[in-house]
Amino acid sequence: MAPTLQYHCPCLTNVTSPLVVPPPPHLASSSSSFHPLHTLFFCEECDAVRCDRCVSVEVSGYYCPNCLFEVPSASVRAEKNRCARNCFLCPNCRNTLSVVPSDPPDSGDGRLSSIPLSTVGEPPFFLYCNYCRWDSAEIGVTFEKPTGLAAQLQKFEDSAPESLEFERLKEHFEPFLRTSSLSSPSHQRTPSSHHVHTSSITAAASAALARDIPGVSKFNPITRSRSGKDRTANKDEMHEYKSRVEVAAASRSGAGEQVDVEFMRHIETVGEVATLEQRWVNSWTSPLQTSDLKPLRVPLHSKTSKRCPTCRHILIKPEQKAQSVRYKIKLVAANYLPAIVVALPLPQSRADGSRRGASDDRGSSTGGVLRAGEAYPFHLALTNPLYDPIQVKLNVQRMHVATSGDGAAAKARRPPFVVSLPTSPFPVAAFAEAWEYEDDEDMFSTGDDNLDHDTDGRGLGSKDGRSKTKTVGVLEKRANVTMVGGEVTIGKEARGNVKFNMLVAYTYRSDDPVPSEDGGTPSRTMARAPEVKTFSFYTVVDLGPIIPKEESRAEDG
Amino acid sequence: MAPIRDKFTIHSKAIVCQDVELKGDITIGSGTIVHPKATIFAIAGAIVIGSGCIIEESAIIVNRRKEIMRIGDDNLFEIGCRVESPAIGNFNTISTRARVHHTVRIGSYCVIGAACVVVPTEEESLGDYTVFYGPASERRTWSGRGKVQEADLRHKHTEYLREMLPKFNRLRRGDGT
Repeated sequence: MAPTLQYHCPCLTNVTSPLVVPPPPHLASSSSSFHPLHTLFFCEECDAVRCDRCVSVEVSGYYCPNCLFEVPSASVRAEKNRCARNCFLCPNCRNTLSVVPSDPPDSGDGRLSSIPLSTVGEPPFFLYCNYCRWDSAEIGVTFEKPTGLAAQLQKFEDSAPESLEFERLKEHFEPFLRTSSLSSPSHQRTPSSHHVHTSSITAAASAALARDIPGVSKFNPITRSRSGKDRTANKDEMHEYKSRVEVAAASRSGAGEQVDVEFMRHIETVGEVATLEQRWVNSWTSPLQTSDLKPLRVPLHSKTSKRCPTCRHILIKPEQKAQSVRYKIKLVAANYLPAIVVALPLPQSRADGSRRGASDDRGSSTGGVLRAGEAYPFHLALTNPLYDPIQVKLNVQRMHVATSGDGAAAKARRPPFVVSLPTSPFPVAAFAEAWEYEDDEDMFSTGDDNLDHDTDGRGLGSKDGRSKTKTVGVLEKRANVTMVGGEVTIGKEARGNVKFNMLVAYTYRSDDPVPSEDGGTPSRTMARAPEVKTFSFYTVVDLGPIIPKEESRAEDG
Repeated sequence: MAPIRDKFTIHSKAIVCQDVELKGDITIGSGTIVHPKATIFAIAGAIVIGSGCIIEESAIIVNRRKEIMRIGDDNLFEIGCRVESPAIGNFNTISTRARVHHTVRIGSYCVIGAACVVVPTEEESLGDYTVFYGPASERRTWSGRGKVQEADLRHKHTEYLREMLPKFNRLRRGDGT
């Protein structure tokens, strides 16, 4: 498993101190606080990292993923969140259907190239899936015109028995709802009461709102009692509702059990029963048989914009056009925080082979494997996204490992590994275009605090890793990337993963043009001294699982 | 193993680019277009390709059986596909990165979807209008509607390639021996 590094977002901790301490990384529950860098945002006003969980999301527009038509939010509700134009989903494979004219009449002699096919094509038109070659003529759906298919298909939907039944129910209840809503607003004190409901749907909705719900305190108690009396009076007047037709028997889909059982008794192939993926795309009760599946209008997608939860500053704002994937406002953490990549280099002891008699098949994976009782170097490469150079200071957080009750296991609960990193701040150059960088003069710079002043950086290759040449310290500085080396020493009884929290603090000059008080020219140069800002964040470094000592001993012996 | 004797019979109206790897006894019919970087290996037996076929880049057509592999007319072998089937009919489409085993015989007007793998363990002969699709290579039968338009499109495709390919690619001239 490759070593990973994730960033901590403080949204899940309750502490309100300026720098929150992240949860101990070895607990499984703390993985929800850590995120990879590309999923994080950064709020400039609050100067804080925000993650996907803490941002507030709001919809900025709806569009059809097929025709990329932006649907105004008013018609979204009217069209039931689906595309109103010619976009349909194949019921068989859920791909997009295309509108296709029928074949021209066969001339009979088989000379196809001589027939000039008209661009519009001939009616009847039908829907055709290019992928699985399903077409709507199999279920008998054809169209006369190639446009406005949704309207033409609406007629089919409307004639389904369920929707007819629903229409009749609405008509039946409408007079009662109208009278009850007319009587209650006369007692209400709110001036903004909508007395006459133009549609039965809104009348039903407002009646539902005024309904008596147990456990919830009554809204407008005075009117409640009076309108309750009215309603009971109305109830007595309401006559029996007779459904037009027995719905359970009429609709074949999702109906009574007997129809389904009969069908299942007579199926010949498994393909006759609709699969789960085919069925749950349907919003209503879905048909059981594959031959009953109908093409669906394509559901709309939404474009969302994200805001910081505390200061309501917009972090992400997409462009209005559906086909553009850019953003008007894009405050992502990768533009503010240095990107850190952790890597475990291949251990140098492999070169001389004297350390252990490693078998060849294990040798290839030694780079990622951590054995108990060993010390491993690792690299951290920091990339600076800012246009100013930064000074980075790393700090490993002490792990407070809880001791368990068992005495023998308590030994294993000690901090199982020790991490040493360069403690003094090191610079990372500013981000600039590739051609602006000078040649690599200090590829192998000597770090300030490396233990061995070995200037030959490449000496690690030929000599083995027994001498501590430059494992800890700044290893390499190239363009805007600085690679530092650290070392982790794993205890003999260690178990689990090598995971530790690391505090990264970096200081940068932000030359905000602070207007000086006096405004005099000679003093302006003084006042424009750029202020140095520090920002720090926590990360968790995961170097991989530890192979316990007994296994490795067994492999050796 | 006997050495493979190359014998290419390429129709004068066929367009075969220079970068194509041909091996063995291969016959290519009139109007067929073979894009560069295609591979046609007739290792054990011969391969006969009909007219109007389009073999795109990285397509691999291999015959490892002794019997002659016959490919019909107007087929389309898309990029990256691998075909070992001993008999293929007309107007088929083998989509990108599909794989067809040597145990299958394909009829006419079939469509093997993208990345579909048709590898039955025993000999099978696909009827006409069979369609394979989906990641699990489910199959179903096409009704045949729209086949005239698709045939027309295939011809237009071939016409266009015949015009444009020689402008940008070197063609293999003459027959190899």
